[in-house]
Amino acid sequence: MGALRLPSLTSIFAISSSRSSVFLRRSKQLHVRKFTATTKVFAQSTPATEVAPAESNQKPPVQEQGITPRSQDFNAWYLDVISMAELADYGPVRGTMVIRPYGYAIWEAIQDYLNVKFKETGHSNMYFPQFIPYSFIEKEASHVEGFSPELALVTVGGGKELEEKLVVRPTSETIVNHMFTQWIHSYRDLPLMINQWANVTRWEMRTKPFIRTLEFLWQEGHTAHATPEEAEREAMQMIDVYTKFSYEEAAIPVIPGRKSRVETFAGADRTYTIEAMMGDRKALQAGTSHNLGQNFSRAFGTQFADENGQRQHVWQTSWAISTRFVGGIIMTHGDDAGLMLPPRLASIQVVIVPIWKKANEKNEVLDAASSIKDVLHTAGIKVKLDESDQRTPGWKFNFWEMKGVPLRIEIGPRDVSSRSVVISRRDIPGKPGKVFGISMEPSVLVPYVKEKLDEIQLSLLDKAKSFRDSNIVDVSSYDELKEAISQGKWARGPWVGSDEDEQTVKEETGATLRCFPFEQPQGPKKCLMTGSPADEVAIFAKSY
Amino acid sequence: ASSHLSPTRTLSVSQASAGATPAISQSRLSLSQLKVKDMAGAKGVKPDNAKKSAVVTNGEMIEYYEISGCYILRPWTMSIWEIMQTFFDAEIKKMKIKTCYFPLFVSNNVLQKEKDHIEGFAPEVAWVTRSGDSDLEVPIAIRPTSETVMYPYFSKWIRGHRDLPLKLNQWCNVVRWEFSNPTPFIRSREFLWQEGHTAFATKEEADTEVLEILELYRRLYEEYLAVPVVKGKKSEMEKFAGGLYTTSVEAFIPNTGRGVQGATSHCLGQNFAKMFEINFEDEKGEKAMVWQNSWAYSTRTIGVMVMTHGDDRGLVLPPKVAAIQVIVIHVPYKDADIKEILSACSATVKVLCDLGIRAEADLRENYSPGWKYSHWEMKGVRAVRRDNAAKIDIPMDGLVDKVKCMLDDIQQNMFNVAKQKRDACVQVAKTWDEFIEALSQKKLILAPWCDEEEVEKDVKTKTKGETGAAKTLCSPFDQPQLPEGIIIVHCALHRGNLPRNGRTGDGVIKV
Repeated sequence: MGALRLPSLTSIFAISSSRSSVFLRRSKQLHVRKFTATTKVFAQSTPATEVAPAESNQKPPVQEQGITPRSQDFNAWYLDVISMAELADYGPVRGTMVIRPYGYAIWEAIQDYLNVKFKETGHSNMYFPQFIPYSFIEKEASHVEGFSPELALVTVGGGKELEEKLVVRPTSETIVNHMFTQWIHSYRDLPLMINQWANVTRWEMRTKPFIRTLEFLWQEGHTAHATPEEAEREAMQMIDVYTKFSYEEAAIPVIPGRKSRVETFAGADRTYTIEAMMGDRKALQAGTSHNLGQNFSRAFGTQFADENGQRQHVWQTSWAISTRFVGGIIMTHGDDAGLMLPPRLASIQVVIVPIWKKANEKNEVLDAASSIKDVLHTAGIKVKLDESDQRTPGWKFNFWEMKGVPLRIEIGPRDVSSRSVVISRRDIPGKPGKVFGISMEPSVLVPYVKEKLDEIQLSLLDKAKSFRDSNIVDVSSYDELKEAISQGKWARGPWVGSDEDEQTVKEETGATLRCFPFEQPQGPKKCLMTGSPADEVAIFAKSY
Repeated sequence: ASSHLSPTRTLSVSQASAGATPAISQSRLSLSQLKVKDMAGAKGVKPDNAKKSAVVTNGEMIEYYEISGCYILRPWTMSIWEIMQTFFDAEIKKMKIKTCYFPLFVSNNVLQKEKDHIEGFAPEVAWVTRSGDSDLEVPIAIRPTSETVMYPYFSKWIRGHRDLPLKLNQWCNVVRWEFSNPTPFIRSREFLWQEGHTAFATKEEADTEVLEILELYRRLYEEYLAVPVVKGKKSEMEKFAGGLYTTSVEAFIPNTGRGVQGATSHCLGQNFAKMFEINFEDEKGEKAMVWQNSWAYSTRTIGVMVMTHGDDRGLVLPPKVAAIQVIVIHVPYKDADIKEILSACSATVKVLCDLGIRAEADLRENYSPGWKYSHWEMKGVRAVRRDNAAKIDIPMDGLVDKVKCMLDDIQQNMFNVAKQKRDACVQVAKTWDEFIEALSQKKLILAPWCDEEEVEKDVKTKTKGETGAAKTLCSPFDQPQLPEGIIIVHCALHRGNLPRNGRTGDGVIKV
């Protein structure tokens, strides 16, 4: 019996044609080099759903090997980190992924924070079915146009052809509106503010783990209001929640702003976005909040009787953050050594590595290490003691660095006798990040560790901020824009161009209009493309 | 002025709508009536389904939807689900079980891997056959459960004994396209659940975990949902397809005389390990197969709770799972200082919340206090009423203690009442005649049992009738003493009165 068929990298992660040959060569090496290390042998695969069979059941021993340096090949580095840090694996169907416990823990930390914020801002959780009748999707014209190429359709269930084909939800505006229409009758029922945590499906052709997969996890908020002002306030409030989350928890200095008409969500009046700069300087849309106006309420007849008894259509918003954000964290903070997690989202904030040489040292070192673990754990710090005797301390250092754990505590026989430990920071490599002789006394150690975690959190944000700022160029002409983009940077310049102008920029430079940032420079401006007076600057960049 | 707890009884549909504004009550009423009619109109639907449907829609727990068998879980339900999730997730994390997420989509060849297993699920699978405008080369299934999705990865991730145990859990939705009567929570085509999947080096470890998880399920039902359950082992016929043995917690609904499987914890043995080649090198360097478990509970738990604590007049929520345990309602009257009342209400809520009680104030002025009582009682919340907040007659400290005590009492009382009702339905049957008699009285039957598939099939056939076929629920771990030489009911019937040593099983009408 052959082992299960698992897809190879080449079939899952197709890449643009210009780079494909390089990528294929690269990924083939990768796939032999990396994946034989941790998996059964992968064979060539076809692009179909069914993937090629593995030819061997042998499990080769785990090899010691590093990650492709980030500076050398960003994409290969990203895939290596995901695989070696055990964040995710490839799913059995093309373009899907298995989120492994270490990766899922990041998503749980995101959920824990946001779920509280959503409730504080008056939203209730609920759950809508995953299947949507196709006729619902068709009701809002631009919505169906935007989503139809990506829809997965169920036509057979329980061995029978279904009467109406069902869409596996790509997003839930249509089903939500269908229900809002039944629940909302008068102004007293407003605002109606709900959220759901769910999986959604978009049948994408080009996929990348976390960043773009056929199925992903997200939260989607949906609200209905009596006035356009309230809806606008809500859409802005939620993009603020996302912005604050990005800065304070994920240490990602996103730029919040408004999308252009071209990039606005299918069915929305206005889309707000947070745009993050990844380590390769590409932009990542990390979260969106839409002011839907009355588009869906008109399509679905979602009306309420106002205080004068007049029937009116409700004003709506929707907003979402997905597992894509996990990819954003990896690509913002990671370095050549691997993953680097912001302390507030790390499932392991501190790893303790005990060091002993002689057998008689082992017990006292382990005793001290585990009492430190208890002290930190009691203080609410997420701590892991790596006490296995299968690996050398050096191997453990590298391993936990690669896994992105913010702080490492080393403890050896001499530390035990001096009642102190050595503490190393993940974000500062080598000696400069290492401090010797920190007392084991809880009254000293606990505040010290907490302070360091806070410092790392801030320092990650500062580093990302200065990286971002040094890679945004202010431009005043199309030539300057092209120049900036060709250098891999973001271009920021005044813009009143048409949809066609925006398309031209995309075709000629590969950059898209990421957003009109909320933070705008003062003074008169002229559009970089047309030379007409412009009110706002826009940011252009290549993106994921 | 007084602070009192409203009766734990909820109101009927007509009463509940009495104080509401016409627009809301009418539409809500008509909606639920419509659905009740739909449900009752469907073939073979028992009246209790219809009743439960009214309870769940009026309590704003679920909403029906265009697609039969798919339901919308409204905030009231989701918060119950989240409270259970919080408890269970924390407990299994203590057991070092980790959370992960496997894809929704399964390719056909993966699904087909384990033959017995897929035979059980194949008729219920939903298939994606198109993407965008084009047909897929090969249809892709939507997971009915994840054994076959996960185990190839177990095979990949497990190599040495140091990789064991591997203990994973995921919270997700699954789809089973059943055609029998859909019932909210109890039988829906899509539902939410947790599914735990674990692999061990030894059978002993697997056996131990099966029972640890089963105990958590018992606690969910008994401590959180106030539903008494029986722990036991499933018969050969009813066990999980492809597994070694199945344990379960079983609830019983006295009104209908039906058993409900509450949650299951399976020991899969080495069958899946063999199919999926989940091997490891043991400490001696020899190749060995892992022992596996899988276990799950779903949103069905909420359905069991509704059926246990709901009746003709509505639903009562056990305080432990109620999103709002206490609702504070202000009762303004002429000459009263509204501001002072409102601030006293808010203060009361704050004091209660600070002490971990989930309290909210309903200070809406466009609804009358009477309407509010009805509204909140229908949703199963106890109202703490402050008639005159200008004077605080109970010291705040006293109030909190009193409320806490009352909530605990209510929780305990609900369980006790449910248990008494359940226990009153338990009937020991020693002969086939006694068995049939008990069945017709809608009893939960304890009977000595041989656990042979043929015999169980025969029982099913013979009891098919007005009440529905009987099947075994489980062989309870807690066994009554059997007198010497007891004759197994069905063996006695079909095998010529051969006395054999019997185990006790609950024979019960099929749900």
